[in-house]
Amino acid sequence: MESISRITSLLESARELTLDAAQSARNSRGSTKIIPASQIKKLLDSRNDREVLDGLRKVISLMYHSQPCLTYFSSVVKNVASPNIEIKKLVYIYLLNHAEQEPDLALLSINTIQKSLSDGNPQVRALALKTMSGIRVTVISQIVSLAIKKGLGDMSPYVRKAAALAIPKCYRLDPNTMPQLLDYLSTLLGDKQYYVAGAAVKAFMEICPERPDLIHKHYRGLVKKLVDMDEWSQLVTLRLMTIYSRKCFPKRTRIVKTKSKKNGTHGFYGDEGSEGEEGTETGEEVQDLDPDLELLLKSIRPLLQSRNSAVVVAVTRCYINLGTQEYISSSIGPLVALLRGPQDIQHIALYNIVSVCLTRPEAFVKYSSHFLVRSTDPPQVWELKLEILTLIFPHSEAYLKILILNELEHFSRGSDKDLVREAVRAIGRCAQSDAGTSARCLSLLLKQITSLDGNLVAESLTVIRHLIQQDPTPHIGTVIRLAKNLDTATNPRARASIIWLVGEFSGIDGENNIAPDVLRILAKGFADEAEAAKLQIVLLAAKVYLHHLNRTESTEPVKPVLSPTPSYLPSMGNEGFAEMDGAADDVYQPKDVEPEHPIVVLWNYVLLLARYDTSYDLRDRTRLYKALLAVPSSTQLASLMLLAPKPVPHTPSPSESRTGFTLGSSSLVVGEDGGLHGLRGYEALPNWVEAGKEPDPSLRDSDLSKAEYDDRRIVPAGERLDSVVKDTKTGQPSTINGFGATGAGPAKEKTLDDWLKESDAEEESDDEEESDEESEDDEEEESSEEASESAEEEEDESDDDDKEHDRLVK
Amino acid sequence: MRCLTHYPTWHAIVSVSRQRSRKWFNICRWVVGHGDMRLGISSGCDVGIGLLRTRRSTGGGLEKKLRGSRSCSRSHKDCPCISWSSLPSTPRLELGYSTVLANATKHNPVLTMSEVIEALHVYDENNRPILSHVYTGRPLSAQQLLPLYSNHPQPRPSLIYLPNTSPPTLVFSLIHSNLLFLLTSSSEIEPLLALEFLHRIIDVLEEFVGSPLLAHKVESSYDVIAQLLNEMCDSGAVSTTEPNALRDLVEVEGWIGKLLGGITIPGKAGFSTSSSSNMSGISSATALAANTPALPWRRANVRHTSNELYVDIVETLSVTLAPSGRPLAAFANGTIAFTSKISGVPDLLLNLSTPSGKQNINSVMELPVFHPCVRLARWKEKPGELSFVPPDGRFVLAGYEVDLLPFQSGQGISANTSSLKLPVQVEIKTNLGPTGSDFEVKLLITKVSGQGNSSISGSSSRSNAGGRAGSGFGGLGMHAGTSSTPTLEDLVVSIPLPDGVRNLSEIRPSRGDTTYNPGGTNLEWHIPAKEAVAGGANLRCTVAGPLTDEEDFEGNGFRLDGKYDYDEDAYQSTPAQSEKVDKPDEHSDARKIEQNKILMPSTASVSFSVKGWLASGIKVESLVIDMRKSRGVGEGVRPYKGVKYLTISRKGVEARC
Repeated sequence: MESISRITSLLESARELTLDAAQSARNSRGSTKIIPASQIKKLLDSRNDREVLDGLRKVISLMYHSQPCLTYFSSVVKNVASPNIEIKKLVYIYLLNHAEQEPDLALLSINTIQKSLSDGNPQVRALALKTMSGIRVTVISQIVSLAIKKGLGDMSPYVRKAAALAIPKCYRLDPNTMPQLLDYLSTLLGDKQYYVAGAAVKAFMEICPERPDLIHKHYRGLVKKLVDMDEWSQLVTLRLMTIYSRKCFPKRTRIVKTKSKKNGTHGFYGDEGSEGEEGTETGEEVQDLDPDLELLLKSIRPLLQSRNSAVVVAVTRCYINLGTQEYISSSIGPLVALLRGPQDIQHIALYNIVSVCLTRPEAFVKYSSHFLVRSTDPPQVWELKLEILTLIFPHSEAYLKILILNELEHFSRGSDKDLVREAVRAIGRCAQSDAGTSARCLSLLLKQITSLDGNLVAESLTVIRHLIQQDPTPHIGTVIRLAKNLDTATNPRARASIIWLVGEFSGIDGENNIAPDVLRILAKGFADEAEAAKLQIVLLAAKVYLHHLNRTESTEPVKPVLSPTPSYLPSMGNEGFAEMDGAADDVYQPKDVEPEHPIVVLWNYVLLLARYDTSYDLRDRTRLYKALLAVPSSTQLASLMLLAPKPVPHTPSPSESRTGFTLGSSSLVVGEDGGLHGLRGYEALPNWVEAGKEPDPSLRDSDLSKAEYDDRRIVPAGERLDSVVKDTKTGQPSTINGFGATGAGPAKEKTLDDWLKESDAEEESDDEEESDEESEDDEEEESSEEASESAEEEEDESDDDDKEHDRLVK
Repeated sequence: MRCLTHYPTWHAIVSVSRQRSRKWFNICRWVVGHGDMRLGISSGCDVGIGLLRTRRSTGGGLEKKLRGSRSCSRSHKDCPCISWSSLPSTPRLELGYSTVLANATKHNPVLTMSEVIEALHVYDENNRPILSHVYTGRPLSAQQLLPLYSNHPQPRPSLIYLPNTSPPTLVFSLIHSNLLFLLTSSSEIEPLLALEFLHRIIDVLEEFVGSPLLAHKVESSYDVIAQLLNEMCDSGAVSTTEPNALRDLVEVEGWIGKLLGGITIPGKAGFSTSSSSNMSGISSATALAANTPALPWRRANVRHTSNELYVDIVETLSVTLAPSGRPLAAFANGTIAFTSKISGVPDLLLNLSTPSGKQNINSVMELPVFHPCVRLARWKEKPGELSFVPPDGRFVLAGYEVDLLPFQSGQGISANTSSLKLPVQVEIKTNLGPTGSDFEVKLLITKVSGQGNSSISGSSSRSNAGGRAGSGFGGLGMHAGTSSTPTLEDLVVSIPLPDGVRNLSEIRPSRGDTTYNPGGTNLEWHIPAKEAVAGGANLRCTVAGPLTDEEDFEGNGFRLDGKYDYDEDAYQSTPAQSEKVDKPDEHSDARKIEQNKILMPSTASVSFSVKGWLASGIKVESLVIDMRKSRGVGEGVRPYKGVKYLTISRKGVEARC
């Protein structure tokens, strides 16, 4: 939803705004003027409330300008006792910001603040509690804890809310107050007022998210209050509920035989395309929802119409991780509706949409027109939009496919280089994902290669090359067509791509191949080529020569076995290049008993050209090929290296690397830059609890809660402490934050071996996770593997590297 | 170190490998438990664990093994490095790559601190920090942050991650009326939460300080802003953001304000002096003492002398036209803004309808979102009826979208392509003229019929957009369009030009005027409201490409020709030579057309605003106060009601070619 300020700016004309600006310029109070410190001090020390307030205002402006204002600390703080609430507020604000620097002086004010805790005005009480907990001086942690305790029983929910919010602050001051805080927390979680409960959930999530046992008895209450809470509490409660549900409701599925039904009514999940089809064969897997889980899923449904985009995403996250298909599909529309928002929200929403779209592209098909790229979109937005278009492409109907391709074609002809590149790559991904249209995509790309825009040509060719590699046989004609374009193509990358492709096809049809002819023409212009193209020319020459060798070898099978190298003695024939070459390097001896075959001549010529090139890389490679092909009789090694079947390049969708991150998190947006395990503080959702290991559902019964609640209260502190320690001990050692530390205490007795044993066991249980990661790694390493398999993949490899680099940068 | 004596030959080398981070972590914890080896952990680093027996004999072997292991994929400077300070006896291994290491702090309980906002910074248009409010933690200062933010290439995304700061920081940014707002957090936080919060801050500041938000307005009301920011976010956790609730908590204009000479807050909604006078000082405290405000979005004890209700429906167009003129996508994103200045607790019912009646409003208003005050059950039961108790002042009641091409969404309604009625139609043609260097933009301005009689059933029926202009609300001039005669204003066509364009040698608009800077990448064509009458208009331009490039190209061409001259191939022999004599012109023309193709714009987008007309045709049927449910509204109060319709396109109608 648009914010009111944006709507207002739409409604008001520019003239009005300038008037307003001028007016406010006149009205400006000039508080930016520098006032001597002594004068401020005098104002602060005044007995007149008005002057004190004035002085405080000045101090606050200094503070906001990040100018030093510690000098006024004592003068400001002594006003804390003022009965005037406005003065109090400003003093509190000052204290919150500066108490840390002057802990001793700050302590002097604690007493007064403590008195305010019993003020008649709830606002004053709440403020006092808030300020006291916000002062970052460790020694007062016990006082804060007491103040919170007092706040718990306050009549005003406003004060109780402040108490709830003070809990995490107190914990940050001194983690040892934990047991008391947990006690307070369990009271507050059950508060009847939704905004107190909301604040309590916030505190819970911060200090002890791994204690679902505290939630059980409040679960249903919280779910019911959820809709009434303010948006920020809804967010945190949704987060809690998603984690809680994963921990407490085992995923139960039952197989429903839908075979007979499917034919008639198309079943309950009629709209889910592919999954439904699977169902006809195996029987459909239907998730059995726990009634409590269903209660949650049902009651958060209205939140899909929340004005807060974060809430919509949080509900979607909840549905996707917990709910059934029915719930998930209801959340798709609202998710797409986030694109109406301002650009910043749009951008983040798109990341979330892409993340959902990667697993459920078919749900987004009907919203495809929302993802058309507009000329006003910034790069980060159109990039994601193009990705979504390519993701939904294979699932859409014919007319939509044409629409998407037209769209991509349009942008591939644009003037923005990055956009052109992305659009062409997107066409490539479309072709890759949907075999039916790949011919059309290819013709689309082939149209582009005659363009004068070198950038577009190069990009198209790279994609064409990938497409051809995927299915080489029908594309021999295409390669010939491309080779013809060598006359006009000027972009080195484009030329290199074409030459490489010609080289790949040089083995087909024996003598009738175009490759030697292409090489002949290229050799003429060798000196004017760019380095990338030269590298490929040399590679092409090597391939052509190798094929030639292989052919001659198969026609005269006896010769190589009987006569190894010595039979090719350097003979100073009529071949000038060979002569020079032979002289320079006696490893290679051309056979020239009969007039040289033109290919051999060509090969020698190219070797010679490359030998005197300025690029050492080129010279090195040439030497490598030369050595490889030095002995015409033994071409196995060369064949292995040069003619190895190339792995089919598969371009993953750019966002695929981030799919592991939870929907709605910053880690999802930041992606790999934030580290493999997400940003600091990021925790993935827990896995579903195994059936049988979940807590007893009766714990959530509300009538029980009273009795249990009382029981808990009588538990002696010592026992409670024990249980806390026990809990944390069993907690996963991987939790870097929070309780991990407490766990380290008892662990002191352990030896390293013990730890290792433990970690081994854990690793086993984590194998699944790891293999996932590994497979990701494999994908990343694809390019380097290619390199080791076939030495000539250089061009390709560097391309991939580029891509990967791009992704990292993003 | 006690434990190490049991295993005198064992030390740990920790290098980090992704798969093994857990194991690695255990070692770290063990080490921490036994010695004071310092550990620094940074995510994202490759980890490999090697246990090293420090007997010199085995050292070499291990070294080799480590060399063989995978090296860190990231640059070394980003890698935390293992230093061995606590293990002096260890033979130092020369590890040529990412030796990751244990830098050593006592393993402090690191607090999660997730979902915490750490600081808010505001900069003015000259990038001078004018406000920085620290919520928690020890974030970067405003001066440190800005260069890091500006280093990011434009256009900057709304979320920027700074991995190299300490601690690594997430920066959320938003620019509003020339002010730059930055929000930071050093750990995982829901990005939408942060951004929504930023938007709320701006809304609230505009409401309290006055809109538009300007640097000196901010600077002159630090005390109010400090209180607001303190209430809105309590040490990192977002708390109260409802403007009404904040008005109960923050005094804007107490007695002290009056004494200081009545700094008038520019008269924005809800800030008439009459309403603020009774909420100052103690009265607000008593309001709180009365406990739980029943409605979190409405402040207590609202009192107005004049009761007014305004509905503004704004629709923003987003239309994409194919080269053929066929619309590919056409949406109107609607927002219903509401202003309520009514005493007590009124319960309102707003009735919306579409031209085709009320029953299908649900299919017209798609994917609606609502302010929390709207009763969703009522809307579900009777679509088109919004029943709510409004907050006091101005707020956004609902948002929706309308698909102006309903047949496309597969519902099979009559496929009437011409169903899209816009006040302006635009078409762009390129590659015109003998050398293909011209392009032409055609506009067809049509009159739209207004929303019809927009009178609202209720007390005052004489309320349309024109009437409201006089009430001093918003910036509506008297000439503004009314519902019966909508007018087209601010008509601007903008045409982005490719980078290669050096100049537009000729620009001929049939009406209006154009702005273009030679070398610029944008051509704008303004048609003032007076000239924007129904009828056609066109703009024809001639582009000039880069000079140097042209010459280069010629040279290139000759070179190619020359090359083939030496070529003894049959296909480039005599006939080519003979043709060269009489066909150079045609040849170069074709070349030029090809070249000019790159210089042609690919889109033209139109901006305009129409007052008194909505693209969707949605209308306000009625707005009534439900007197039975309302409290404290007062007998016989007949509020003044007004409706305003506005359709806006901000480069929203886009024609491609």
